[in-house]
Order: sequence, then structure tokens, then C-alpha cells
Amino acid sequence: MRSYIIKRLIYSVIIAWGIMTVTFVLLRLGPTSPVDRYILNIAARGQDVESVRQAIEARYGLDKPVIEQYFTYMGNLLQGNWGWSFSTSQTVVDLIASHWIYSFQLILLATIFAIVLGVGLGMLAAVKQNTKIDYAASIFSFIGISIPGFWLGLMLIMVFAVYLGWFKTYYDTSYPIWSLENIKQLLLPVLALGIGELAGYLRYTRSAMLDNLRKDFVTTARAKGLPEKTVIGKHVLRNAVLPLVTIIMFDLGSVVFGGAYLTEIVFGIPGLGQVSFNAIFANDYAVVVAVTLIGTFLVLFINLATDLIYTYLDPRIRYD
Amino acid sequence: MTDGKPARSGRRLMDYYWERLRKNRLSIIGLGFVVFLSLLGIFGPIFAPDPQKTDFQTKNLPPMGFSIEESVYEISTGESITTVVWGNLDHPLGTDSKGRDMLAMLISGARISLLVGLLATGIAIFLGTLIGVLSAYSGGWVDNILMRFTDIMMTFPFFLLLVMIVFIFGPSLAIIVLVIGLTGWTGAARLIRSETLSIRTRDFVTASKALGASDARIMFRHLIPNVSSLIIVMATLSIPGVIMAEAALSFIGLGDPMSTSWGTILNTGQHSLDTAWWVAVEPGIMLFLTVLSFNFFGDGLRDAFDPKASI
Repeated sequence: MRSYIIKRLIYSVIIAWGIMTVTFVLLRLGPTSPVDRYILNIAARGQDVESVRQAIEARYGLDKPVIEQYFTYMGNLLQGNWGWSFSTSQTVVDLIASHWIYSFQLILLATIFAIVLGVGLGMLAAVKQNTKIDYAASIFSFIGISIPGFWLGLMLIMVFAVYLGWFKTYYDTSYPIWSLENIKQLLLPVLALGIGELAGYLRYTRSAMLDNLRKDFVTTARAKGLPEKTVIGKHVLRNAVLPLVTIIMFDLGSVVFGGAYLTEIVFGIPGLGQVSFNAIFANDYAVVVAVTLIGTFLVLFINLATDLIYTYLDPRIRYD
Repeated sequence: MTDGKPARSGRRLMDYYWERLRKNRLSIIGLGFVVFLSLLGIFGPIFAPDPQKTDFQTKNLPPMGFSIEESVYEISTGESITTVVWGNLDHPLGTDSKGRDMLAMLISGARISLLVGLLATGIAIFLGTLIGVLSAYSGGWVDNILMRFTDIMMTFPFFLLLVMIVFIFGPSLAIIVLVIGLTGWTGAARLIRSETLSIRTRDFVTASKALGASDARIMFRHLIPNVSSLIIVMATLSIPGVIMAEAALSFIGLGDPMSTSWGTILNTGQHSLDTAWWVAVEPGIMLFLTVLSFNFFGDGLRDAFDPKASI
């Protein structure tokens, strides 16, 4: 077990190295170098382009050989020197430090919403298999999986904010993060982001419950006279929900982070998605790259944490 | 049966799958919509007007059967007059804030969505199959390196990676197709690898090896055909994700500026939710129906190919 944890840690370091290397290669392969992007802004202000270019290249070490640049790049990332955001005039780390909380609250609330309702409805659909409730749940999950979250967000704004006037059409940053007003204005964004997740968890929980309901230990539990509540709640649900941990973690990287990025743009929430979005149009490459890298490292960290938590949650897993 | 041609048994297998698929009504509806959309995308632009043509005389025109109230400030009298504007047959689905015809734009969007969806999925599934089969068949260090690389690529959140690469390389249809194709193969590679691993140990593979078949022959004649149903199902079920990714990129302004896709229309539509709701509603409905159809069809295909599924 201990050797497994050590092995897992070393493996994560290798993946982290791979992530940084892939990013470096992509940046080097790009048709315009980061300097060119910066120079576009300089040129727009009518300064001498060539001298500025040389000065910047010297400052960022871009006149050095590629291999040396690679090591500088890795060193900078490891030391937390993630670059300078010239469009907001602060370090990228400071910029991210002041905005991450908005993404975090959105993702946290949407995920809680999706897990609670998804698992609940999935259980209900499985227990009431082939009834109207089950069919309704299945139609709902098909719609939820297929509806583009950012479009759903637009529609929610249009109906509930523009026409009905129940919500503001913009996100108000003057409310404290953990206040009731803030939670209220996050209602629509959470719905837009969470519905796809919810549908996925519903589908998974339903089929996992049905799989487990057919197992022998359920028959045994029923045969020894346990109440149906205990059979479903303890024997079936526990076994069905455990793999859900993996699915939730996988979803974070594949759907949720991207969804949150778009949801923030649609609702004007000043999280990291919005920060990256603004940086794209300001040609602020360090910020765009940093946000993607942060998302990636988060996924890596969460994967590692899940694997380690699993060793406690499921004693059946063997390590070699 | 006496001629024993393999082509015939292949034909009969197809008939068998089709019979199974046909029993799933939702799947056939999905297929029907995909066919309709393809026809629209291929032939529609021939008949439709230019989707980029602006006409400020007829801007913000509602779809046929709908009306909006429009206030016009009259300079001569200094009063604003409210008139009711009805949609008309010239622009059956209305126009946007620059007077572009919504129907023409939606048709153009259908073409782009399908083009990107099919091409990018094609690249991704091709790469995924190649890497998956190669990895499983070779084993050893080849398998190790390929799978570690897959792990690295899988750790990147898909959409964030797309945004970063399209930002670095600049937005164009070719870049978007390539980027989605070159980053979207990881899931397919893993699935096909695990499927191939189980097929590799079957007797017929050992037999053909004993007969002296080359590695390439075993891979292309025995392993890949045996995972082909999995490949088809996976391709169908990844197309909606690709279409949504393209729409999302266009929506945030990282789409091809030269073409009109559903995401681009949504981008204009989000600024006129209060004055011209249809600009944001119509492309979204198309996007939703397309994704839903591919999901229905893909689900049906999976059940049809799965001998254990009861239909």
C-alpha cells in the first residue's frame, strides 16, 4: 500500500512534467511568438518595433537556444513565476489569486446540485424501473446530456432575467461570496452548468443500481428479511455509488471546467474562465496559458487524491 | 449459402444489425434528423441567399407568425411612434441585428457543424484506433510510452486545451478541425486498447500468427475489423461533443471569422436577448436537436451491435 502511494506520486510528477512539456512545445510551434503578440500592442502605440522586440527577447531569454529556453520555462513554472499579465498590469499569479474563488464557488455549487439530484433521481428511476417516473427520468437525462449548457444559460437569462425580471442580467460582485444574495444570483448559472452533470450522474446511478439489484447478495439480504429501505440504501446504493467518485472526477476535466468557462462568460461571473476570455482578446498569452495549465494541474491533483482516497473507501482494490 | 462468399455473410450481418436498429424508434428518428441535416448542409447553400449579406432596412425582423413592437423616433414631430412589425415570407425565420437572413445562416451553420463534426471525429477515431491497437498489440515499452502520453493528454481539460491551442495558432476552420481531431483521440485509444487486449489472446489470432501472418496483417485484417463495431459506435457518440465544442469556440469568438456557424450566430444573439430573442433561440434549438439526434442514434447503434442487449 505504501509503495503504491509512492508509485502513484512519482507517476503524477511524470505526468506533470509531460503537461508542461506539451505546453512548451505548443507555444514554440505557434505561428506567432508571444513577443509578436506583445509587439502588436506596442506597434499600435507607435513605438519603434525592432528595438522593443530585441529588448523583450533579451528580457525573456527568447534569443537563447530552444533547449535553454525550455529549462528556463520549466524553472519559472516550478518557482511560481507564471509570467506578467500586461493587459491587467499584475503578475499572473496575483490575477489568478483574486479570481479563482468565483470559479470555485460556481463549480462547487453546481457539482453538489448535480450529485444530490442526479443520485436521488437515478435511485428513484431504478427502484421504479419501467414506470412513468423511470421514462420521465430517462427523457430528462437525454435532454440534459444533449442541451448545450451555454445556450441553456442564455435562455435562462432571457426568460428569468430579461422577460420575467426575477434575476439581474449581470453578476453583482459587491455581494460577499458566501452570502444569501450571492447564492441567489448563482442559481441560474448553477442550473446551466449543473444540468449536464446531473443528467450524466442520473443515467449512471440508474444503470449501476439496476446492475446491483440483480446481484446475489441483494437476494440474500432480502431473503433474510431486511426491510427494503436497508436493502436499497445500504446494500445496493453503496455499491452503486462508489464508482461514481471516479466519474465525477473524470467529469471535472472533460465537461465541468469547460462548462464553467462558458457559464462564466455567459453570466459575466469574474472567474478564471472570464479572465482567460478577456486575455484572449487582449492578446495576453501568459494568462490564457496559465488558466489552462491551472485547470490541468487541478485535474492531475484531483486524480491523485481520488486514487488515494479509494484505497480507504474500497478495501477490495488490490495494489501491486 | 452454397457459394459461401464472405461478402454475402457480411451483407446478412448488416441486415441483422439494421433489423435490430430499426426496432429502436428514437434511434431511427435521430438518424432521420441527421440525414435531413446532411441534405440541408449539402444542398441548402445552393438555394439559400448569402448568409453574410447584411441589409439594415430589414434588421431584427421576427420569424414568420411572430411580431415585435418597434419604437421609431420621428425627427419631424419629435415623438416616438410604436409600430407592430410582423415577420414575412422573405425571411421565414427572421433576420438578426445586421439584417442577415436567419434561415440562410442556420443552413450555413448546419454545413459547418457537420463538416467539423465528421472531419474532426474522423481524425480522432483514426488516431485513437491506430494508437489503441498498436499499443495493445505491441505491449512492452511501446504500450508504456503510448499510454503515458495518452494519460498526459487526458489530464488536460478538453475545452481549456482547445481554447489555448486555437488562441496560439489562430482561429480558422482547418485549425479547429485539426485541433479537435489531434486532441480528441484519447478516450478512443484507451477503449480500443482494452478491447484489442482481449481479442489478441483469442485462438484465431494465435492461429494466424502460426500461419506466418505479419504483424501488420494481424492488426489490419484481424484486430481492427473485430473492433469495428466499437469504432462506429464511438464515432457516432463523439460527433455531438465535437459539434458542441466547435459551437462553443465560435460562441466565445474563437471560431473561423470567415464562416457562419451556429456558435457565431449565438454570439450575436446574446447581445439582443431583449430585442430579438429568435437570434439566440433558433441556432440553439438546431444545436440541441443535432446533438440529441446523434445521441439517440449512437445509443441505438450500441444496442444493435451488442449481442447481449435485449431489444
